[in-house]
Amino acid sequence: MAQVPVQSIHRDPQLFYWILFPITIVMILTGVLRHYATVLMASAPKKQDQKATREQRSLLHGINVRGNHHVLSKPSFTARRDALITAYESGAYLKNPDSRGQPPPNPMSDPNAMEGMMGMMKNQMAMVIPNTLIMSWINAFFSGYVIMKLPFPLTIKFKSMLQAGVATRDMDPRWMSSISWYFLCIFGLQPVFNFLLGSDNAASQMAQQMNQMGPQGGAQMFGPGVDPNKQFLAEAENLAVIEHHSVLDGVEQRLLAGIKV
Amino acid sequence: MAPPILHSPVQLSPAAALALSQQAPAFLRSSSSTVSSSPLSTLLSGPEKSEQWLQYENLIVSCLRTGDDQAAHQCLRRLVARFGDDNERVQALRGLVKEAEAQGNGALEEVLKEYNQILDENDTNIPIAKRRIALLRSMGRLSDAASALVQLLDFSPTDAEAWSELSDIYLSQGLYPQAIYAIEEVLVLAPNAWNIHARLGELQYMAATAPGVANGLYQKYMAEAVKRFARSVELCDDYLRGYYGLKLVSKRLLNDGAKATRQTDDSEFALPGTSTLERLNELATARLSEIVRHSAASDRGWRGYSEAEVAAARALLADDASAIER
Repeated sequence: MAQVPVQSIHRDPQLFYWILFPITIVMILTGVLRHYATVLMASAPKKQDQKATREQRSLLHGINVRGNHHVLSKPSFTARRDALITAYESGAYLKNPDSRGQPPPNPMSDPNAMEGMMGMMKNQMAMVIPNTLIMSWINAFFSGYVIMKLPFPLTIKFKSMLQAGVATRDMDPRWMSSISWYFLCIFGLQPVFNFLLGSDNAASQMAQQMNQMGPQGGAQMFGPGVDPNKQFLAEAENLAVIEHHSVLDGVEQRLLAGIKV
Repeated sequence: MAPPILHSPVQLSPAAALALSQQAPAFLRSSSSTVSSSPLSTLLSGPEKSEQWLQYENLIVSCLRTGDDQAAHQCLRRLVARFGDDNERVQALRGLVKEAEAQGNGALEEVLKEYNQILDENDTNIPIAKRRIALLRSMGRLSDAASALVQLLDFSPTDAEAWSELSDIYLSQGLYPQAIYAIEEVLVLAPNAWNIHARLGELQYMAATAPGVANGLYQKYMAEAVKRFARSVELCDDYLRGYYGLKLVSKRLLNDGAKATRQTDDSEFALPGTSTLERLNELATARLSEIVRHSAASDRGWRGYSEAEVAAARALLADDASAIER
């Protein structure tokens, strides 16, 4: 059985100093720069006025009462429930009670919502622009040849990942092109940034993408385009259907059964 | 040197507060006084820790308490340098320092005027609003403080601290139902807080034993007090105040005897039967004497009880014993 000959390509050792090294350094520096750019561009969270705070926290209050109704005795729970349902249904907690029943305003026309979107745009830009620049830089200068050999064997599947820009069919996938090194740096530099900038840095794109994909519960709940009146009505209904039981029912028996003197 | 504590220093004993504030100079020396925002120094010195600022805050409080105003000012300066002059928490801390240094009522009025001014500009500045309420209370204007708190709670009803303060103010005015309502709101926000359960039991007991309470109301309050104390020790099975209250209430109910066990409708709690009360009383007595015995010997794992509370428990037990001897 014929042994597959070990491919050897003679590379200039200077490749290491003039390509591998610079790409890595540039990647790290852009990460650091991006972190500080994001910190500088971040706008302070906008202050809410009293009425908006009141609207949100009153709703949270109702949710708390609903979730923890078991700590209350029946009379005190009923009193709270009646008060909350009346207030919710009459719209007493609404920010602007006049706009009840009207469709929610278009989120595009709301300046607050626009600001949030602008912030998101800015973050996106901070990610996209440097990446495009670096990639075109690498493509312009270093494309078309391999720069290093990985010290471990790989299967053929890795060819498209590691040898982007080098269209050679028979080459061992251990050989690696510069653009692939760039991609490896994008995904692999997170620990370096954690070490340099602390764990909540804005340098890594991966973390940011995760954030954008993740569910934004808090923002969703009070976000633009949600009609608070409808939320209040739904919460009133939730409160109304609760079948109350108290954690104090039979607590003495539980205690005496549970604790042995 | 142990680093200054991270939790609130309000409940420290005087000795502990003094020890903490005596660490202040060393702590101030050990941490760098300047905060540089230049990227290079952050890269070199590593990320700042948020605990550090909490330590400064706690140092301010305990230094003010022990009269070390100089160190308090130093801490405050660093917080201002880091967070700016118009940060809400920094504003509140500066107010606290001013209140502590105020001589006489006139100076306090000045501070109050400043608070009002800040709140006029920004009516959602909760730290300042709370300081204003605390100042009103310490100046003896209880009803003003209560109404300001109600106003605060109207737009922020999910603030457990404010609710419990309101409960305390109502209690000091003798308004038991209002105090009970407010502490129930704290429970809604923190359903498993055993100390709040016990506190509610205490309030119910106080309300029941207040002069001029109708018999039906008395039984209702006492029934819930028993249950609250029982729930409290169910959640935390070595909570001294819970057992103390349980013993106090069950003893009182046993002394009342079986007179007039009114049949309550099922919306209210019924008083437990005599045998249950006896067993609860036994349980509380046993646990209390265990706690008293262990903490007198300061055994491992039994320290940390407040001395005053242990002494009160001992007195309650001794009271019981002398009653039996008679």
